[in-house]
Formats: sequence, structure tokens, C-alpha cells
Amino acid sequence: MSSVGWFIGGPLMYFAAAFFVFMTAATFIKYAKLPRHLRWDLYPVPHQGPEGSKYQKVDFAGIKPHFSLFHELKEMSQEMLFIKKAYIHNPKVWLGSFPLHAGIYLGALWLVLLTVSALCELGGIAVSGGASSLVVRFLHFGVIITGAGGFAAGLFGSLVLLVLRIADEDMRLFSDPVSFVNLALMIFLFGSSLSAWIFADSSFSLIRHHVAGLLSFSMPTVGSGLIVLQLTSYCAFLLYLPFSRMMHFVGKYFFYHHILWDDEMMKRNSAMENDIATYLHYKMTWSAPHIRKDGTWVDQVADSASKEGEKK
Amino acid sequence: MKKTTRRVPIKDFGSATDVLSPLEPGDIELIHGEDKPPKFREMKPETKEKYDFSLDGISALNLPIPKTKEEEEAIVNGFLRGIEKLFQKENNWTFLMPTTLSNEYCMQCNTCNEACPIYTESGRMDIYKPNYRPEVLRRIIKRYFSKSGKLLRKWAGADLDLNWRVVYRLAELVYRCSLCRRCASVCPIGVDNALISRELRKVFSQEMGIAPENVHKSGTVQHMKTGSTTGMTSASFKDNIEFIEDMIEEKIGRRITIPVDKKDADILLLHNAGEYMAWPENPAAFAILFEAAGLSWTLSSEQMGYEGVNYGVWYDDVQFARIAFAQIQAAKNLGVKKIVIGECGHATKGFITIADRVLVGDAAIPREACLPLLEQIVLSGKIKFDPMKNNFPVTLHDPCNMVRLMGIISPQRNILKHIMPEGQFREMPDAGTNNYCCGGGSGFAIMNSQNFPDWRNNVACRMKARQVLEAFKDVLDPSIPKYYCAPCSNCKGAARDSMMEHFGFRKKYNIIYGGLVELMVNAMVDIPKPFISWEEEF
Ligand code: SF4
Ligand code: SF4
Repeated sequence: MSSVGWFIGGPLMYFAAAFFVFMTAATFIKYAKLPRHLRWDLYPVPHQGPEGSKYQKVDFAGIKPHFSLFHELKEMSQEMLFIKKAYIHNPKVWLGSFPLHAGIYLGALWLVLLTVSALCELGGIAVSGGASSLVVRFLHFGVIITGAGGFAAGLFGSLVLLVLRIADEDMRLFSDPVSFVNLALMIFLFGSSLSAWIFADSSFSLIRHHVAGLLSFSMPTVGSGLIVLQLTSYCAFLLYLPFSRMMHFVGKYFFYHHILWDDEMMKRNSAMENDIATYLHYKMTWSAPHIRKDGTWVDQVADSASKEGEKK
Repeated sequence: MKKTTRRVPIKDFGSATDVLSPLEPGDIELIHGEDKPPKFREMKPETKEKYDFSLDGISALNLPIPKTKEEEEAIVNGFLRGIEKLFQKENNWTFLMPTTLSNEYCMQCNTCNEACPIYTESGRMDIYKPNYRPEVLRRIIKRYFSKSGKLLRKWAGADLDLNWRVVYRLAELVYRCSLCRRCASVCPIGVDNALISRELRKVFSQEMGIAPENVHKSGTVQHMKTGSTTGMTSASFKDNIEFIEDMIEEKIGRRITIPVDKKDADILLLHNAGEYMAWPENPAAFAILFEAAGLSWTLSSEQMGYEGVNYGVWYDDVQFARIAFAQIQAAKNLGVKKIVIGECGHATKGFITIADRVLVGDAAIPREACLPLLEQIVLSGKIKFDPMKNNFPVTLHDPCNMVRLMGIISPQRNILKHIMPEGQFREMPDAGTNNYCCGGGSGFAIMNSQNFPDWRNNVACRMKARQVLEAFKDVLDPSIPKYYCAPCSNCKGAARDSMMEHFGFRKKYNIIYGGLVELMVNAMVDIPKPFISWEEEF
């Protein structure tokens, strides 16, 4: 047990964390490197603020685009923190989705606070409820509240979604085995964390000690079986996530900022114009009868009206 | 909410049943005044033997049923080739990022379902759910293009085997989505199921040569061949202009010369040419307003200069780009400063937004919607309006292309505020960016193959009919004349065929339909007789 615990909590955890960071960056870069696409905006576009779309104005091309960071952040935070669209349009799913996301955000905050408290421990500051410093005490209770609250919320949300996927006929229709694997993993992640907290580590001192060990590269061993399970779930999560559609947090950035809210107009002599001029020279291989064989996009378009006329 | 009655698991999408998910008229919720379930034309056995009706008993595409194994294989192979190209930058740089993301990140939460008027108004058929088509595509991609799918099959969600039926049903199914993007606007992730429908339409058209006849052959191809999807040549366009000048004279008591091919005018006005044929009052009203406001403007009689539509926007990037460039060329030949697009939603969005990033260099002539210009005319005070001349109830349709897809919301409302007495204008439910499609979007208004019009009128247009009745619910009495204002040609086409002819709104409730400019001219102080009449056929 102890060598398995050591392997999971030590080398595997390092690897899983590095792998996750690497794959997240790679996914981001993969999308960022895709060619520019044609406009496909969807309104309202929040950063246009109460003024709304430029298209509502005569000679809009000469008008400086309006950008309200406040309105964009407002919309983004409502969607990210409260899953606003599901709340309005699909309250049933929101009942699972919101606590699940709240669990993830609280869990992430827990991890940050836990890391800070582990650094304190490494620096010789004891983190406990009885600490003399108010900040340290705050840290101690912060870790407990975010951890316990996050795990409970996440577990609740995942269970609600699982029940919906099984019991709701409409949800079941599209649920492939992967949907269940994803939920099972979330249940494992939050369930194991919650059990470890309840039965083995009520002040999170063991896991803090473990994180301190990881931070100082001292390759700690893990004493409790429940914490081994908890760490196993983290490794599984970090290793699996990059291959799953749960990476939608990366996708969502591109969906909103590069597609739905992307209202950037083409400008003369811009980088965009240069790029697109290059794409127009790509050779296309579509093979329907109306496509000119082996032509570039420019060739397809050149003299189109008269050539189409001759052909038919 | 009614329970879904037609369960169709994705894995059964290619099953050998005659009709996978037949429409059940009894499941369709009736609108006010409808007393029996809607009717769908029963096709003759010989037609059903020849063409594919196997999705829902409807044919939008007239696809001939393959007769040999080789033909079946060619269909499947062509489709797989097309899917591969959809994800190649050389072939699809235009929409590669949106397609890739929408394909990868749907969480199957079903939030989009209730937003879709086709799904809800069909009696909630599974196959019409916005996320159904993309899921079919996803499972095909997993099964044929991913290692995990090839290896793990159904455990990786790759449980749908391709056959010609899958391909043909999917081809039909992408023409049961009007690309209104209402589903996309509620998706918490940002996934765009409408885009997937459009991209699949591209695969069918650009790789397999499959598209509705009215959209392709007598649509974009005819457009480039004759100058208009209506088949109107340059010579007959000029005749039409003369006819419209006569009409204006008769309506307002004086003759206006409509400028055609005027070099170096400020504005080239580009109408949907359907207006000249079906609703000449609309270009007439534009001419009256532009003349009275003293604008420097012109129409073009050059081939590709008098037809504003671009059906390519619905199904084919190549046809889209060809038409957009040719239209730009016509404007350049006249030396105009900008192009203003008349009351046509897809033409406005296509030319202004979608074409924005392909019109590079000197092809980037400014292009604008007509609504802000019309608002400017009203606010300028150059024309005197008497709101009391429009003293009848009016409701406004928000064309998806101009409103949800371009954010043009306030100009048309501002205009109505100035040309109508208070209290007569009423918003319909879900007005603005949340509005529903007219039912004619993405080509539906002009597609007439087999029994497709029955589907359009009974299913696609039902929600709009419901909304209009709701807006007029306190004035439904036929003694009160009412006006359904739809500032878009396709939306008017859908109103004519469904609301007026199919649902009989004119006869039952004395509702007529028309554009915004007609209402504006009707309120002009200088016009002696009413421009809008409930007696004349619009
Ligand atoms: S498209 Fe969006 S709303 Fe619809 S099921 Fe997928 S994630 Fe949910
Ligand atoms: S685009 Fe409109 S018609 Fe198509 S699936 Fe979405 S909501 Fe339905």
C-alpha cells in the first residue's frame, strides 16, 4: 500500500499535473492556430454595450467600434459562475450543472488555499484553527470551507446529472457511454475527496502535509488509504480531462471570443487581410460538378458570372 | 409540455424502415382558429418508389433512390470524402474553427431543444432536435475517422454504421433546420448546431452536388446565368422599372424617374429581385422615399447588379463567394460610394457580415443595411409623416438574419414610433434577438419540391403564425384591418404562402403583410391616397 501510495501521490501526481498543463496549452494552441474564419457573430454582443450593433448606424464602417469591458465581463461572469443560460433555458439541468461547476470552482480555490497553507507549513508557520495570526486562521478555515463545500456541491451536482441521464428519456437518448464515464469520474473525484475529508482528514492537515512534500520534492508517502484514493482520482482526472469534452473550458473561450462575439471588421492592409489573401490561394479539392477542378479560391471566383453562364 | 412521441436513437438512423420518423399530424399543436390536424400530401406510390422520403415522409431534395450496390457505395464514399474535406483548411478555412469546436464540445445537455421552433412545433420529434444532426455527424466521425471509435466502437460512442440511408436522411435533415441560430443563442457552451447544418449542406453541395433545386439550379446557377434567381434578365429588369414608375404615378399622382445606372451616385440600392416580381410596391416605396429625401442613389441594370440575393449563404461557400464578388464588380463599374441592401435579411447578412472577410483589397466597397438609412431619413425631417395615416394595429417581425445575426434592432422600431400613432404598434412575444424564424429561412421560402411546402407551412411557419396571432389577440376581429410588417423578402414569401394562403389569416382576421417602407410611404403627408390597401392583393 505504501509504495502504491507513494507512486500515486508522488511521481504519478507530478506527471499528471505536468501532462494536464501541457495538454491544456496544446489544446489552446491547436485552436489558436486554426485559420481565421468568416464572420459568424451572434447578437447581442455584450462588449457592444447598450449602444448595440454598429450595423444600426449609417456609414458604420467609419465609426470606431464600441468596446465595453464592463458589459463583457458582466456577461462572462454570469455565464461562468452561475451558468446563466442553463438557469434560464434549462433549469432541470442547471440543478446539476450549477453545483457541479460550483464544486469545480470551489475545488480550484481549495487547491490554491491548500498550496498557500502548504507553503506556510514549509516556512515554519503552523496552519491551524488556533493560530495567533488572523490571516493564518482565515486560511485554515478557508481551506476547510472551500474543500468540504466544493466536494459536497460537486458530488451533488454530478449525482443529479447522473440521475437525469438515466431517468430522463430525452437526456438518455443522446447519452453515449462516454457521458457516463465522465460523470463517473466526477463522482469518483468529489466522492473520494469528500470521504477522505469526513473519515480521514477533517482539517485537511494530511493533504496539506502531502502538498508541502510535493512542493519541496521530498516525495512523501501517504498513510491513509482514503487519501490514496483521493489522489488517485486527481491523477485520473488530470490524465483523462485533455481527451474529453470536459475541456470545454478551453473551447468556450474560443466559442465566445473568437466566434460569437468576434465582430472585428476587415481593415485594409491589416494582418487579417494579409492572412485571408493567403487563404484565397489555397487549392480546394471539392469535387461537385460546379466546382472548377484544381482551382484555388481565387480561381473559383474569377469571372464567375460569365463562366457559370457559358457552362450551363 | 407534450412528451416526445417519436423516439429515434441515433444508432437507428440508418435502419431499413420505410420512413424513420413519420410526421404525426395529431401530435402537432393547433393554432387559434385551426380546427383539425394539419394535412401532409400523400405522395403517389410511383413517386415514393423513385425518390427518397425515408426520413420523415417529406422530400426537400428529390433524391433518387439508388438502384445498385455501386450507387449505394458511391453515395457513402462521396459523403466520407466530403466530411474529410470539411476539416481541411484548404477546403474549409472559411468555417474550420467554428465547425471543429461545435463538433467537439456539445455536452448533450438539451438546453437548445426547447429553443427550436421546428422541434417544438413538430410535436417534438427527436430527429428535429437541434443537437440530433450534429450528434449523427459526431458518431460518424468517431466511427470512421477516430482511432478510439474504430477500436472501441459503441463504447466510444461510434455506434452508427454508414449506409446510403444515413447519408440521404442526413441530407434531408439538414433541410429541416432554418439556420435561424436560436438554438445557438441559448447554448451554455456556445455550440452552434445551425452551423453544423450549414456545414453539412456544404458537404452535400460542394462534394456530392446535392442541393435543393430551387436553391442551386434555379437559384445560384440561374442567378449567375441570367442575372437573377427569378430568371429576370437585364432587359426585363428595365421593363419592370418602367412598370414601377407607372405604378408610382398611379399611386401618388406624379411620375418619378427611378435612377438606373447613374454613374458615381452615392448609393447603389440592391433589392431582392423577387420584390420586382412579387411585391413591386416595395421598390416603389423605396424610390418614393429616396427621391423625397433627395438622396444620390441608383439601381444597376448590369447582370449581377440588380439582384441582391445570395443563396450561397445557405449551402455553398463557393457559390456564395462567386456571387458576392460579381455583385461587388457591378457596384465598382458604377463607381458608387456604397451599397445599400433593401429589405432582405439573408442578402443583408450575407453581403455585410459573411462577405466581410473575403472582400479584400479594393473589393471592400462599404455595404449597409437599409434600416439605419431609413431611420436617418425619418429623423432628418426631410419628409413629413402623419402617424394617423397608419392608424391600424401593426406588429413587427424581426428577421433572424438582420436581428439575431447582425444586431439591427432599434432603427425599425424607431421608425415605427415616428410613423404610427401611439398604441397601435405591438411587439410580438419574444421580439428582438430572441425572435422566431418566419419559417422561410435558409431557402425554405423558395423550396417547392414534392411535399416540402406542406412541411414548411405546417411545421416551419407555425410558430410565427402563433406569434402573430398572439400579438393581435385583442384585435382579431376581421372588421379591424391589421398589418404584419416583415422587412424581409423571404419572410414575406413565407407569410404569403403560410400565413395568408395556408392559415388564411387574411380571410379570417383581415391581417395583411408587407414591408416597412410601404408603411412609411403610407404615412407621408404628401401622398394623397393610402399606399397600403386591404382591398388590393399584396
Ligand atoms: S448544443 Fe449546447 S445546448 Fe445543445 S445539447 Fe449541446 S451543449 Fe447543450
Ligand atoms: S437553427 Fe433554428 S431551426 Fe435550426 S436547429 Fe437551431 S433553432 Fe432549430
